[in-house]
Amino acid sequence: MKRKLKLYLPFINAGMQETATYRVNFIFFLLGEALACAVSFFIWNAVYNSGGENEINGFSFEQMVVYIVLMFLTNGIIGSDASWSVGEEVRDGTIAMRLLKPVSYNSTFLFQEFGNKVLTEIVLMVPLLVIAELVRWLISGAVAFSVVRFLIYLLSCTAAYLINFFFNICFGFLAFVIKYLWGANMMKNCVVGFLSGAIIPLAFLPAGLRTVILLLPFASLNYTPVMIYMGMYSGIETLWYLGLQLFWMIAFWGLSKLLWRLSVKRLCVQGG
Amino acid sequence: MIKVENLRKEFKKTIKEPGLKGSFKSLFRPKSEKVVAVNDISFDVPKGEILGFIGPNGAGKSTVIKMLTGILTPTSGRCTINGKNPTVNRKSYVKEIGVVFGQRTQLWWDLPLRETYGVLKEIYEVPEDSFKKRMAFLNEVLELDSFITSPVRTLSLGQRMRADIAASMLHSPKVLFLDEPTIGLDVVVKDNIRSAIEQINRQEQTTVILTTHDLADIELLSDRIVMIDKGSKVFDGSVSSLKDKYGQIREMKFETDSKNASERLGYAEKFGFGEDDLSVEQEGALVTVRFNSSVAPISDVLGYTLQRVNVSDINVKDADIEEIIRRLYKQGVEE
Repeated sequence: MKRKLKLYLPFINAGMQETATYRVNFIFFLLGEALACAVSFFIWNAVYNSGGENEINGFSFEQMVVYIVLMFLTNGIIGSDASWSVGEEVRDGTIAMRLLKPVSYNSTFLFQEFGNKVLTEIVLMVPLLVIAELVRWLISGAVAFSVVRFLIYLLSCTAAYLINFFFNICFGFLAFVIKYLWGANMMKNCVVGFLSGAIIPLAFLPAGLRTVILLLPFASLNYTPVMIYMGMYSGIETLWYLGLQLFWMIAFWGLSKLLWRLSVKRLCVQGG
Repeated sequence: MIKVENLRKEFKKTIKEPGLKGSFKSLFRPKSEKVVAVNDISFDVPKGEILGFIGPNGAGKSTVIKMLTGILTPTSGRCTINGKNPTVNRKSYVKEIGVVFGQRTQLWWDLPLRETYGVLKEIYEVPEDSFKKRMAFLNEVLELDSFITSPVRTLSLGQRMRADIAASMLHSPKVLFLDEPTIGLDVVVKDNIRSAIEQINRQEQTTVILTTHDLADIELLSDRIVMIDKGSKVFDGSVSSLKDKYGQIREMKFETDSKNASERLGYAEKFGFGEDDLSVEQEGALVTVRFNSSVAPISDVLGYTLQRVNVSDINVKDADIEEIIRRLYKQGVEE
């Protein structure tokens, strides 16, 4: 274990330095996300105003705002670019260089990406949580922050990130077949955005559809951690959804191993 | 050490018909054909040998190297290196080899060079003291000191290549695969790299497989040449045996005052040279004659020339490996 850690530590370090190198890019990325967040806020604001009701599908306006801010934060924590990285390496052939190193292909990506985001997420988390709690306090007049729920939220986020990472690795291996992933990636982001509740809360969907979607792996990505943080789940429900996350995590980890074995056989390195 | 048996690699290649219509067609119903990149190649390399692996562009050199390094899986045939099959035990296999692809880099693009070596040290589990020794040696031969703290993306091609070569040698590999390590480099850097390869080979009996288009690399470093063309092996032997076998072409240069020397001389009729055996060029006073010395001995051609035209300065060059290879690449090889 210690040996493994020593082996992959440099990848975390490299990931951190990469982020530091391209910090302007990161700031622009953040600005874009914040804008999307603001748009979302104004849309829901209009919805609640025109409806004249205080609560829609179990969400009060105050909860909706917290939901939006938390989605923003959670998206950042669990987001993974692995499919893009894998796809690009396949497209330009740099995958060859990674294959020449005596390390596990998937793990190098995992640790590098972890390094990419660890600093930025810590920096982001505090102000965003403060905003969310401030909104809650301003509108409802009560402090609802719970340390236990926050810790379970972090645990759930970790699981969600790993699901997302392995799912993206699996998806990235598609590049071995279709060579260039840009189009497929766009489609994937759209579908995942909807199915994971990043666009509208899954609670707003019709009951039958919702039951199915909640079982899918995508609901385990953003929706579960956010709902846990907001205290929308009872103790038993929390356990059930955490268990579901564990299941999907193992499933995609296994699938990524299997696909890797199959893909590398039919690998054809492009260029030079 | 390295054993290659009947190695073969086929690719499926999508064919696109020309034009917009063709693009649409291939979007919906792609046609593909089978391309044989490497066809039944076998050779052995003993420990400590530097093998020059040459062939014209597109001959399949890189494909062979990729199969030997475990990046590509052969369609059929086998290669074993140190008794290991590259595609079966990737992680344990790549620990024993070092690879440089001249057109790619294994260095970490955004990190200072020094950090990349730190990463490699961990990955290959190089002990601290031998790492230090190794770095000192590589620093000395490849002169890395001046740019070791710069991020890799800011390095020049020559610096990057030296850094890449160093990276491939860091963990004292048993086999070194160098795919065009001197591509696009100036004379001094080439010398640096050659001397690094030579010293590593001499000190540690490292087996080296070297592909290059710079034949000076081959002449200075290689013990043996394997040449492939269109996916098949066409020559396997030492540099001197290549010269013996194909080096009958000699080059004779002389200056003369006669305007149409080639017509006056008429070598082809006199000595019965075939079309491939002779070329005569005249540029002002300077005449260059390349001829096959197995058809007519040098002394005969020389004597005949002196007899027929007024010659002021004349010299005959020994078989030059570059000339041999040029002819072989152009015509293909008849065994």
